[in-house]
Amino acid sequence: MVDFIQNCLDGIMLGSSYALLAIGFTLIFGVMRRLNLSYGPSIMVGAFVGTLVYLEFKANAVAIAAATVVGAVIVGIYVERLCFRAIRRGAAVASMVSSFVIWMQLEEIVTVVFPDRTYFFPPMVTADPIDLGPFFFKVEYIVMFAVAAVMTVLLHWLLQHTRFGLALRAVSEDPRAALFMGINVGAVMFLAFVIASAFGGVAAYLIVSADGQITPLFGLWATFKGLIAMMLGGMGSIPGAILGGLLLGVVEAHSIWYLGTEYRDLSAYFLLFLFLVFRPGGLMGQLAVERELAATRRV
Amino acid sequence: MDDLYLITVLSNIGMISFIALSAYLLLVVGEISFGQQAFFAVSAYGSGIATAMWGWPIWLGLLWGALVAGAAALVVAIPTVRLRGLYFSVATLAFAEMVRLIFEIFTYQVEIDGELVGPDGSDGFRDIRAIYDSNVSAFEYMLIIYGLLAVVLIGFLILERSRLGAIFRMIGEDPMLTEMQGLNVTKYKILAVVMAGIVAGIGGALYAHLATYVEPKIFNVMLGVHALAYGLIGGLGTAFGPLIGVAIDIGLLESIRAISGYRMIVFGGLVALLLIVRPRGLLDEAAMHWLRGRWRGLVRAES
Repeated sequence: MVDFIQNCLDGIMLGSSYALLAIGFTLIFGVMRRLNLSYGPSIMVGAFVGTLVYLEFKANAVAIAAATVVGAVIVGIYVERLCFRAIRRGAAVASMVSSFVIWMQLEEIVTVVFPDRTYFFPPMVTADPIDLGPFFFKVEYIVMFAVAAVMTVLLHWLLQHTRFGLALRAVSEDPRAALFMGINVGAVMFLAFVIASAFGGVAAYLIVSADGQITPLFGLWATFKGLIAMMLGGMGSIPGAILGGLLLGVVEAHSIWYLGTEYRDLSAYFLLFLFLVFRPGGLMGQLAVERELAATRRV
Repeated sequence: MDDLYLITVLSNIGMISFIALSAYLLLVVGEISFGQQAFFAVSAYGSGIATAMWGWPIWLGLLWGALVAGAAALVVAIPTVRLRGLYFSVATLAFAEMVRLIFEIFTYQVEIDGELVGPDGSDGFRDIRAIYDSNVSAFEYMLIIYGLLAVVLIGFLILERSRLGAIFRMIGEDPMLTEMQGLNVTKYKILAVVMAGIVAGIGGALYAHLATYVEPKIFNVMLGVHALAYGLIGGLGTAFGPLIGVAIDIGLLESIRAISGYRMIVFGGLVALLLIVRPRGLLDEAAMHWLRGRWRGLVRAES
């Protein structure tokens, strides 16, 4: 029983990092309705900018975090301009493939600039795990969980209580109608991309500093963990992204414990497949999917 | 030496063309699959087991591999084909990753001539030696690859002129309108997925026998996404599109050694720019329409 609860706790902590990734993903998807495969790689580049600042100036944690976020945002803008703004809206596949080739490009730029592949990344805090009765918590993951919670609140406020949020929701609902209402659709999408990249940068910093190292493979990992967590939670739903991330973390923690490490990803993908077949809307998005299905049936 | 290198590069282009064609077929019906590498993998293992462990002749092994891949495609298609857009794409991704991870733990070995042969989890599957045992040279094997590729390509060209091809394009354009014509969209989509699986399977079986060694990590999602990208670079208007994409990527850029370390930096940028100008690839539907018109004009002028 103690094992089971400790597994759940580990999973929730691991899941916080997935949740952080999924939030940025779902924000971009919700507005663009297009998949950005470069999301993980661009925050990976951000983390390498952080590494550079650390290696060159021996900077403190705040400066490294800031450099990571700025790097992620700049690369995010590059991706938005090249793969999304420049390609017309109807061509979703072209945008996706374009974001994929840019992923390959970013990965190679990083390998050229950082030829050693694996680099040390300074930890954010150096504290021992906290013991609480039979259970223990790692401080880094508690910070991650807290940041994910703060981000959700912040995003909720931004989306529901500001003019920009209203515009963003309008664009996400129907970009053409939003345009007729006098909303600058391009600017809204651009800002959404910047915000998502900034959140992604924060996520990258927290995850990479908890791991203590960074490799170019982080991009692939971040894209796919974020994508799975987003799909489990329900595409385009922010609370869904959090729940999906936590669910993914818990399932992985349990599979590692009961089945072994080699089953970790297998059970995650199996769960995802089951969700897609039986409940494609995920934990929080089923209503939207069913509404769409009903609309199709009416036609 | 140089000849062997050329033969290897050409053989690679041929084999990758199969998986690119398979992704292309699904793009034609309007679906993006991140998972065609699964069928490539299933067939690589299936045909390898057939020739190396069961002692089947090569041609039967290739056929078996393609059939197993087709069966696997049918198994995926039935539950996932009604999913649309990104849901289908992620479902194929999940399936393909499951296949890869299962091969990471799948062990099935028998003793042949005092040696253990067969897939051994993450250590991979060694000694698929059928073409070397029967003294097929690298050049002859390349001819086999291109012979099969030609057969598949002719199949695609016939398909594009047929009623079935028209239905596939129509589904890609607007599935709901197709349904209204009284056509069973689900059934046609399942057919497309199975056909795509078989095509990828032929490539996988050929690959396993040329490489003599397969390991699960070759079949990761990068292979599948590359396959998708090839179709989109070359163009979605014709089955030659994916072949052009593969040839550009592997052939042209492999041969320019000067940029070897920076290949993706240059290539990635170029493709991104190309997709801005031509979001459906070099030879898209409009370009093909124009080309066919010119061709007809030429033929008329001759006669």
